[in-house]
Amino acid sequence: MKLKLFVDPRDYQISFLIFFLFLGIFNREWSLSFPYFIPLIVSCLLTQFIGDNFDNINQKLKELLTRERGRKSDLKWKISGLKSALTTSLGLSVLIRSNSIYTLMIAGAMAIASKFIFSVEGKHFFNPGNFGIISAIALTHNAWVSPGQWGSDWFYVALFICTGALVLNKVGRWETTGAFLVTYIILSCLYNYYLGWEWDVVLHQLSTGSLLVFAFFMISDPRSIPDSKIGRITWSILVAILAFVLRSFFGVTYGVFIALFVLSPLTILFDKIWTGQRFYWPISQEVGSELTVVNGGRA
Amino acid sequence: MKKILLIITICLTVCLSFPQQVWAFCGFYVAKADTKLYNRASQVIIARKGDRTVLTMANDYEGDVKDFAVVVPIPVSVTKEQVNVLNPKILERLDAFSAPRLVEYYDYDPCAPPLPVYKTQEAPGVAREGGARSDQALGVTVESKFTVGEYDIVILSAKESQGLETWLIQNGYKIPRGAKELLSPYIRQRMKFFVAKVNLEEYEKGGYVNLRPIQVAYEYPKFMLPIRLGMINSKKEQDLIIYLLSDTGQTELTNYRTVKIPSNVDVPEFVEKQFGDFYKAMFTRSYEREGKRVAFLEYAWNMSWCDPCAADPLTPDELRQAGVFWYDPNGPSDVFITRLHVRYDRAHFPEDLRFQNTPNQELFQGRYVIRHPFRGTISCQAGKEYLRRTRQRQEREAQTLANLTGWDINKIRQQIDFVNVHGQVEDTPWWWRKERPERNR
Repeated sequence: MKLKLFVDPRDYQISFLIFFLFLGIFNREWSLSFPYFIPLIVSCLLTQFIGDNFDNINQKLKELLTRERGRKSDLKWKISGLKSALTTSLGLSVLIRSNSIYTLMIAGAMAIASKFIFSVEGKHFFNPGNFGIISAIALTHNAWVSPGQWGSDWFYVALFICTGALVLNKVGRWETTGAFLVTYIILSCLYNYYLGWEWDVVLHQLSTGSLLVFAFFMISDPRSIPDSKIGRITWSILVAILAFVLRSFFGVTYGVFIALFVLSPLTILFDKIWTGQRFYWPISQEVGSELTVVNGGRA
Repeated sequence: MKKILLIITICLTVCLSFPQQVWAFCGFYVAKADTKLYNRASQVIIARKGDRTVLTMANDYEGDVKDFAVVVPIPVSVTKEQVNVLNPKILERLDAFSAPRLVEYYDYDPCAPPLPVYKTQEAPGVAREGGARSDQALGVTVESKFTVGEYDIVILSAKESQGLETWLIQNGYKIPRGAKELLSPYIRQRMKFFVAKVNLEEYEKGGYVNLRPIQVAYEYPKFMLPIRLGMINSKKEQDLIIYLLSDTGQTELTNYRTVKIPSNVDVPEFVEKQFGDFYKAMFTRSYEREGKRVAFLEYAWNMSWCDPCAADPLTPDELRQAGVFWYDPNGPSDVFITRLHVRYDRAHFPEDLRFQNTPNQELFQGRYVIRHPFRGTISCQAGKEYLRRTRQRQEREAQTLANLTGWDINKIRQQIDFVNVHGQVEDTPWWWRKERPERNR
């Protein structure tokens, strides 16, 4: 099959996330590097493969146990989900921190496993990356997120906004990020005004790279968010409000991640209230030598 | 290099006596008279486990003690039992334990290297009242009032900044201009104000030479350190050393980037005599390179050991005094220290510092290495190669130093005692020459 890149929005996501990883390691002096990230990525891909091909693997195991070898099996192995798993794993690599490779692998496995476990009518409702982070922090006590790792340099602010906007434009579900950011910015500005801080204080809070990575590369995952536009907007606003309250009033460092985690199950409810077309990533199909994109992009 | 063997580890504590006289602290000083009040480098210890915090604030206050007064926002009201004064020695111990260090190695005679002899060199010392009725009208509540050690302490809560300012002025505190605007955000966050001044009677009774650090214990989920009030009087950069003690691992800033100070670099021999200047110059250059917007990690280590040790680890009693309330001498040692050096000013640090304790057990220390070349008589041909390589190494060290500090490379070269590559090799007569020099005698 002829490989055609940059038809799928995930190709953009993957390239940008790899670029961020390189920037983080070489320009922001992260203490973690590829020896940590590669096992994390492998664990995500492996979990995805196992999840996608569970029945096949089961059958293969049975064949092995009953020694029915030699029989030609016509099993079809599904690998189309690996691209999503790669995106999730790269997103996780950019965010999660740990001294232990095993913890990172657990985070990766949990992230992808959540897609298969917490699924209603064929749709997973937890953001996989976010689920991986929260479960690794809660289960291992050996993982953390460094919100200060990007600083608030304008270069990074511009980079995240531009690359994020490009991906969202391809995915077509920009209102999720839009509603989240607008709500969060408005609340922050109002609170800043109420407290009486100068404007550069709130600007400094909002220009933190980690917030933008979350807004553009995590919350925007089109597969786990509500299907309808109104559902997405309402849901994003709620996430922003909770994140803001947790951070500003309760001093919760991981406010955004916890808010997303807690409110993710609302997706099921919102899908029941407001129906909309479900998002599917483009599936490349070979028709002659042309590559077509089926049911992808804008919903 | 094979022939280099470790002999000496000298640990120098960096002199933190930054030259500029500035106003600094988590809070601001309020003078009772027009005396100039100065404070050079603030040091703060924050011991934190869960939501419990023990905050120790120290300063190099050099004015008349009767004029000393400080206002610090704290998240909750505290009582007398929660306030303590700390023996300043503890702070010196923490400083010495965590300070960036210089390590020295001696090259051996490339022709006949003897066994390493361990010797230690002494590390140089550390360079280094109002009426209740009017209160109500002003919206200021005196939550508690007590004397601890040489300090008279008042815990205030206020409804609005004007009232608080008036209260402070009425009670004889001189408020720096612009304080009112900065007090307001803290009042609106329902924070309390910890106001301390010196009780002269107690001070004289105690016969203290300097004011001792004040320690406050409180329980609150937000993990932050106010720095904005300290910027009122000065637009200049101020230095703050924060010793963060946690039960989990490294403590990091969540709203600013933390950068490791350059470490494990070989520097020329003469740096030994100018280590303080070297460190200051390197710090300033790193700080400028990072756009003045980052905090520097100078040390991160488990407090039960060190390698090399700049000073002995703190004893259980010293740790408890430093605020490590969870320390259990019978249990496993779970005290991790993070030393952050923040040089801040209004333009680059608009927000107060926010922290989080992480499980990060990665160890880090600011460590600088000096390698003394062998300067004895070279008595073999292999020595020529040694001299050539050493000369190259010295040049590399000069370039490293110039790069780290911004010092003039030529001046650095002038101060380096380069080995003489063209020196005469004193030939051992053939009848005494051995096939191989004995390495292990």
